Amino acid sequence: MANFESHRKRGSALLAFAAGFAVWSACPSPAEAQQQAQGFAVERLYPSAPGGGWFVMDDVNIGGGLGSAISLITGYSQNPLVVTGPGGVPRLILVSREAFVDVGAAITYDRYRVYLNIPVPLVGTGNSGTVGPYQVTAPALNIAQNPDTISDTRVGFDVRLLGNSGSSFRLGAGAQLLIPSGVRADYVTDGRYRGMFRLLPAGDVGHFSYAGQLGVHIRPAEGLLLPGSPNGNELLFGASAGRRFSARSGWEMVVGPELFGETAVRSSSSGQTGFEGLLTGRLERTGDRPHLRFRLGIGHGIVQHFGAPEWRILAGVELAGHR
Amino acid sequence: MSHGLASRLACGAVLSMGVLLSSRLASAQNGSPAPRPDEQPSLMKILSEDGLHDIENESWNAYGQFTYISDWKPSFAAAYTNLNGSINSLLATPERSFTGTATLYLGVRLWSGAEAYVVPEVISELPFSQLRGLAGAIQNFELQKGGTQTPQIYHSRAFVKQTFGFGGERVTKESGPLQLGTTYDSRRLVLVAGNFSILDFFDKNAFDIDPRQGFLGLGFMTYAAWDFASDARGYSYGGVAELYWDAWAMRFGRITPPKNPNQLPVDFRLFKYYGDQVELEHNHKIHGREGAVRLLAYRNREDMGRFGDAIAVWEADPAKNATTCPGFNYGSNNANAPDFCWVRKPNVKLGAGVFAEQSLAHDIGVFSRGMYSDGKTEVDAYTSTDRSATFGLLAKGSSWSRPRDVAGFGVNLGWISKVHAQYLALGGVDGFIGDGAIRPGMESSLDLFYSMSVRKSFWLTGDFQRVVNPGFNTDRGPVNIFSVRIHGEF
Repeated sequence: MANFESHRKRGSALLAFAAGFAVWSACPSPAEAQQQAQGFAVERLYPSAPGGGWFVMDDVNIGGGLGSAISLITGYSQNPLVVTGPGGVPRLILVSREAFVDVGAAITYDRYRVYLNIPVPLVGTGNSGTVGPYQVTAPALNIAQNPDTISDTRVGFDVRLLGNSGSSFRLGAGAQLLIPSGVRADYVTDGRYRGMFRLLPAGDVGHFSYAGQLGVHIRPAEGLLLPGSPNGNELLFGASAGRRFSARSGWEMVVGPELFGETAVRSSSSGQTGFEGLLTGRLERTGDRPHLRFRLGIGHGIVQHFGAPEWRILAGVELAGHR
Repeated sequence: MSHGLASRLACGAVLSMGVLLSSRLASAQNGSPAPRPDEQPSLMKILSEDGLHDIENESWNAYGQFTYISDWKPSFAAAYTNLNGSINSLLATPERSFTGTATLYLGVRLWSGAEAYVVPEVISELPFSQLRGLAGAIQNFELQKGGTQTPQIYHSRAFVKQTFGFGGERVTKESGPLQLGTTYDSRRLVLVAGNFSILDFFDKNAFDIDPRQGFLGLGFMTYAAWDFASDARGYSYGGVAELYWDAWAMRFGRITPPKNPNQLPVDFRLFKYYGDQVELEHNHKIHGREGAVRLLAYRNREDMGRFGDAIAVWEADPAKNATTCPGFNYGSNNANAPDFCWVRKPNVKLGAGVFAEQSLAHDIGVFSRGMYSDGKTEVDAYTSTDRSATFGLLAKGSSWSRPRDVAGFGVNLGWISKVHAQYLALGGVDGFIGDGAIRPGMESSLDLFYSMSVRKSFWLTGDFQRVVNPGFNTDRGPVNIFSVRIHGEF
């Protein structure tokens, strides 16, 4: 009887969860009703899952019993969307300043992880103008005018396929669903559901750590008129490497670069690849206590398309632990 | 409002203090979610039962809810509707309204005594008459100004709470939305900063019924006359300090107002424009039955117009009317009416109220609220009501062998000040009401509901409301409203 009751409770809760998720996910994009807006999600820095260590790459150090992680990342980027003319000459800085906060939470169990990232755009400004036959309007987003905006929320699931926590080679796989939210005219969303599927190699060798990603970004972004805007599905790639330095007792520092980018699968014109580098440093608490990380990063758009900014700065804090 | 009416209201409020609600039971609802009863299934309880989560001393939790409310009103009698180009009448024709919301409550412990909460939410809605024509009698507390049928996702809350213990007994707080399972000192100081609903901390009910299982009417969520500073969705940025001392609690909060009345953009200049509130609470037992009494006072300093100023400007120069506004206005087409757009400046609004609740028997209780605001300035955030009183009775179904069902009966009364009525009589409008003319009277709503629990996590509710004198206008109404609600929690 106890078991039966337990199953009934579980069934009720799962049914309610499923119904709630159905209500949530059945929502059409807010932007779909706003046909006048032709903006898109210009931000291309998709933070790693909470507890993932790096800013973009993921150490796939998933293991142990039931655990949880939270993260808070804030970033500012300069000139993330510049429309260029022949020869790469800048014609219009459509998005000149962008800032965000990303709040993440993850639950891990054994080799599995589910997580949620909620990005909150703080600032989005730029310059309006004419590009060829198109009149484009810059975003005018700030937290006072948009006090509760959320841009595309990411729900993700990762699994560690090979290797063990702390081993020299680990391979993970992950999937993410990006739920459209916000207004396209603010350049915070495509207004459509998106998905990502990635392979995540990572490992720790002596004082060194590395991580990478290779994947595909399912991005139904047809109908975007602006030159340099996304053009459908993309390949995602990236790698990071860092050296560990012992700091004071119980703490260590990891310093190293992260390189990441994306390129349109359907390359019908030039300028379909964005590539960015970050120099990152993080201070980590080690030992049995929950892992606390403070992170800093400075980035530069090596190939400045698709939202790779002229430069950016990032800061974050992350807490991860197990029972 | 007349002096006599004020006296009656004060008298009613004092009398009502002796009549209030049950603790196991819910009272008037508010915008903050209630704790989850022990027997209610949830993902956190499943994890706890499997030994994977310490639900009594949580480091994190996650809860969720979804609610769909459908309202229908038939046609009603009205001597006039949107007279002379005014725009804020409740339409006299049949209408359907709905809201659909889904909310995810995420909580995490940051360090000793520190908790953080983030709450994303999605809403889709269709109000009656574009949410015009009713004050405290708005039939569905989920409705937001500026909402659309196209779902909108936003973060309703993101705040940090730090608790400092000062001893006394240990108080157990069960795991639930916006509450990590933990224990606190009965004497403690709680500091909160961030983005929240002020109703998460002020005017909370002691009764453990979620607002989405209780009354549907907005007037039962909190004092209809408390024009608490908030954006168009009902949320604010700011800080709250709470001091708990055994049976007593005192709290103070300063929060952000909207940039323009009843709009979404927020004014963050907290030293120039703000909403301040202070509340004193005492929990008691009478013959072993729990109850509580709270006193609340507020003072808002916001960029808003005074009724008297708007009338004076228009009388001095009729060209300064509602159709010639130089700045923010509600779009009235009445060229012979005053408008606040000519007189908005930093003004102060004051009000004070009392709330009481008392358990009468097992799972049966009564409650009452009353508030008196000065009635000199326009509505900036909540409802157009200047003075309000609410009385109600709530019962859980334990006496008819359905302990998770909830039934309630309540009356919500509202008044406007004399100068407010004069402004409306001249054809003026505010954020919600303004028929173009008015024969002023008390707006009242009766709310009767039954909420039936289905499979412990779902509730199906039937609700009837009857609104008399919608928009304080005795030339219109009464209006009957029929509602159905589906609510689920996980």
